[in-house]
Amino acid sequence: MERQLTVHRKVIIEPHRHAGVFVARGKEDLLVTKNLTPGESVYGEKRISVPNPNAATNGDAPATSTEYRVWNPFRSKLAAGILGGIDDIYMRPGSKVLYLGAASGTSVSHVADIVGPEGTVFAVEFSHRSGRDLINMATHRTNVIPIVEDARHPLKYRMLVGMVDCIFADVAQPDQARIVGLNAHLFLKVGGGVLVSIKANCIDSTAAPEAVFAMEVNKLREQRIKPKEQLTLEPFERDHAMVCGIYQRAG
Amino acid sequence: MSVDYLLHENPVGYAVFKVVLQADTIGNRLKEVQMAAQDLDKFGKMVDLVGLAPFEGTSHALQEINDVSEGILSDFLRATLETNLPKAGKKKTITLGLSEKNLAGSIKAVFPNLSCETSETSEVVADLLRGLRQHAQKLIKKLQPGDIDRSVLGLGHAYSRAKVKFSVQKNDNHII
Repeated sequence: MERQLTVHRKVIIEPHRHAGVFVARGKEDLLVTKNLTPGESVYGEKRISVPNPNAATNGDAPATSTEYRVWNPFRSKLAAGILGGIDDIYMRPGSKVLYLGAASGTSVSHVADIVGPEGTVFAVEFSHRSGRDLINMATHRTNVIPIVEDARHPLKYRMLVGMVDCIFADVAQPDQARIVGLNAHLFLKVGGGVLVSIKANCIDSTAAPEAVFAMEVNKLREQRIKPKEQLTLEPFERDHAMVCGIYQRAG
Repeated sequence: MSVDYLLHENPVGYAVFKVVLQADTIGNRLKEVQMAAQDLDKFGKMVDLVGLAPFEGTSHALQEINDVSEGILSDFLRATLETNLPKAGKKKTITLGLSEKNLAGSIKAVFPNLSCETSETSEVVADLLRGLRQHAQKLIKKLQPGDIDRSVLGLGHAYSRAKVKFSVQKNDNHII
């Protein structure tokens, strides 16, 4: 798993439009997040260490450098959405995020980097097999709460989740919109953001992807989520869309 | 149907709140009503803490969350309700608002004079419980800031680990 730590003098880190996300400009541009646990990769991703500007004047001091982890858009729907130009990710340093469909926690680790030590990620995953990896990842990141439970039954984990600012869902289930709604009614603040990654094949493999996306957006509307934006995850994923919305309880 | 008391389950313990002021069912979706629940000052006037029954330790908390998630009324929760709710007589019934219907069923079986409303049956209850979830940290004066966050972290790990440990689907025990 351990990769070599690449120290680039030539790489320049720039903050992305979304707070907590960064872009590493070097030979090629990479999406990165600031590593919450310096010195560790979660899933074998590359790390980039950049010396801090004020430390550079008094010689080489590796302790005063900041480490970033490369975020691969082919492996993470959220990264693909950010590169696709999503308008708002509704999560920033200090946010509380409910992450449904956390899998092994590879993307969750980047979300944990974004929200930082002041924020919290409640990561829900049903599969015990990936749940194990998720728990292991969370042992090193104290802002991640691993929850091995079915997202269809949010009441089972109601003691573990507080009010959140954002729900990110990547559950690839036909009743995904309903699952998101159930969780939003319990845990999402009024005016909180919803990000849903929709795989057309998982909802209805016979209909055209565009029709499936439109249908899902309508289902979200029924769950009092006002759709704001829909974007395709091409070229990173085929027939996937990311739908963003705002949760409204009134009216 | 109005609600008199609320049960709030959090990782620190069980809290029973008395409902002082509540919206009516028709007006519940009004913007003003929804905004009031967001505001700690206004929401604080709607509910009143009756009692908090803190868990004795991490293992006790784990035991309770396992019962709560399965809708079982534990002895500890029964004792908490007995001490914090007034005795319901034949004439005067008391309504308790809580999150889940299985737990409501178990409670009703033990307290026959108590009627229960869940988030599913009453939107007013759902909104009050949402408000408690948002403001519990501030409303329970005995808690230090960060108490809930810390216990959530420990309890989340304990709960999930136990799930994985006693897994029936041992599909990842490969023999190398």
